Amino acid sequence: MKRLSLLVALIIIVTVSLSEARIKTKGRGEKMNFDADSIQESFKPTFNLMSVKCIKCHTMERVVIAVQTGRAPITGQPFNKQAVKAYGIKMLRKPNSDMDKKEIRDIVVFLNYVLDENQK
Amino acid sequence: MIRNLMHASPFLLFFALLVAAFAPDSAHAIPAFTRSYKVECSTCHTIFPELNEYGDAFLKNSYVFVSKVKKTAKDTEPPPAPIAKAVTIPKPVASPAAPVGASPDIQGAGDDELLRKLKNGAMTTTETAEPAQPPAPEATLSAVETPQPAGEQKSEGLLLSAIPEQLPISFTGALNIVYDNKAVNEFDFSTRAFKLHAGGHFRETVGFFATYVAYSEQPPASTGNTSVISTNNKTDLTEFFVSWRHLLDTPVNLKVGRMQPKLGLWKTNNKLSVTNNYLPYTYTVGGQSTGQQSVFRIDQTQDALELNSILGKRFFVAVGAVNRKGQNSKEGYGHVSYKFGGADYLANEPEIDLAKEESILDFLTINIGGYGYVGKNGSANSNDPKNSFYRVGLDSELLYKSLRLRLLGGYGDDDKVDTIAVNQWTRVISKSGTIEAEYALRSNLLAACRYEYLQQVASPQKQGFSDQYIRRYIATVGYNPYENLKLVAEYKYELVTSAINRLGTLGLTFGF
Ligand code: HEC
Repeated sequence: MKRLSLLVALIIIVTVSLSEARIKTKGRGEKMNFDADSIQESFKPTFNLMSVKCIKCHTMERVVIAVQTGRAPITGQPFNKQAVKAYGIKMLRKPNSDMDKKEIRDIVVFLNYVLDENQK
Repeated sequence: MIRNLMHASPFLLFFALLVAAFAPDSAHAIPAFTRSYKVECSTCHTIFPELNEYGDAFLKNSYVFVSKVKKTAKDTEPPPAPIAKAVTIPKPVASPAAPVGASPDIQGAGDDELLRKLKNGAMTTTETAEPAQPPAPEATLSAVETPQPAGEQKSEGLLLSAIPEQLPISFTGALNIVYDNKAVNEFDFSTRAFKLHAGGHFRETVGFFATYVAYSEQPPASTGNTSVISTNNKTDLTEFFVSWRHLLDTPVNLKVGRMQPKLGLWKTNNKLSVTNNYLPYTYTVGGQSTGQQSVFRIDQTQDALELNSILGKRFFVAVGAVNRKGQNSKEGYGHVSYKFGGADYLANEPEIDLAKEESILDFLTINIGGYGYVGKNGSANSNDPKNSFYRVGLDSELLYKSLRLRLLGGYGDDDKVDTIAVNQWTRVISKSGTIEAEYALRSNLLAACRYEYLQQVASPQKQGFSDQYIRRYIATVGYNPYENLKLVAEYKYELVTSAINRLGTLGLTFGF
């Protein structure tokens, strides 16, 4: 019994700490995005920038799924910090990406922050 | 992905009255890849069938998505599923000054199970999806090495037999309206073609590709009643080859079958235009009599044996031998190309330091290729003297943001082109060149303009051969309302030795 309550307590602690640390998502399908409420204030401008820039050719679902699962959804490649930077460069270099290096740098920093938060 | 048809209408209207000879091309980019890899067409194409850098890498790697990470190849493991390897793991860009990336603390192989569920829609039924588990910290590199993208789990039977899970077959069709100022039927809206393609690989060891032209329009009969409906011109297996990848664990691939030998930088279909192939790749050297024409073309498909290899990620080499029915002597060719900037031939992203100011070099890619071909042609199964010829060429492509610039130059020498009578040989020197600029107005709307020329002069002296001069000006607009459907309007103004041709095409091409 003691053991069981300990286990329950542990589970509660873990769950609570996880739900605090992690970035939540909102919506589904085409409307899926990170939940702005769970994003640190200083990152909100970049989050907004990303929500505009990265939906030109596909939905945000692609990015959210990549971050949440750790796998890029189209090609199935690991989506870690190195990959975030490489994908950032890939998206930047696409014809008509309408992004500059500074914007991509900010978005990469932001996605790293989201990955870090999800690690906690 | 549905794209807005409205945006192209001014361009389409502008070109709608223009129309050109319809030549079915060989294709090399097919929806079978989309189906088996679950990727979108734009992973490899600008507007299909023109390839982007990643499509070019896929082609160079014999239809296998390349990965930087090597297999673990544990004896007990089933062989990797043909679709289990995906596009290159983007290169970790090690730049200490950069504020981002290059952090080795996350080794995550990702949560395949979760990805599979998400893809199947199993996780998207609630308004607010609870965030997934982060990549397991203990995930090891070997887990990274055997990814299961797209949540595919293959049955052991399929794995053991090396059969692709999805039937790797696609269809492409073309319906064109052609305007030709020289034709009896000036506006011809019944030119069409229908093709079958197969492509893929067996356990990443053997790549294969085939193109079968099921229907191409019969040219009009000069006699006969116009009420007779045009029938099939011919069926043809234009491509059918296998490529044994990494022969005996070397970086060399062996390609065998009917193929376009690797000569120029681009295969026939790798362009925006649907009707106008590049002149340096397509010209023939004709005498007045057809028997002894040199009908060889750089872009023709041939029965060949080719060895090719990517060396040092940015260097590509190919050498090959060609067999001709009815002729004992073999022909030979070679190609080298090198890529500066951009993704390398294994599809790794270039190293760009995000901390630094934006520079032109961040977006500049230059691909340069050279080739040579030596051969003979003439009457089949005969000891008559044959025409010995060679072709050399230099191609280059420059990419900068939405701009793509292509330059082609070719030189050809044919020593025995028949002119008037048998054994009245004439040596003909051919010089050709193309310059084409293409601009992506939107990711699904491209415009291109091209200038090309050909000059064929008898050398040293003429023996009845009339020198040929061709100048062409071509404008093309291509629009992609859906990624598998392409609308093209093009106009060609052509000055040949003694005439002016005006040709227009309004074409619809699609694949499924
Ligand atoms: C110009 C069009 C365009 C823009 C803008 C764009 N993308 Fe993409 N993105 C694509 C295409 C096309 C693909 C699929 C093929 C590929 O990987 O290139 C893709 C794929 C992806 C993938 C999945 C890759 C995989 O391998 O599964 C991610 C993640 C992604 N994009 C993130 C982003 C982010 C983040 C941004 C904003 C910074 C962005 N994209 C902006 C065109 C774009």
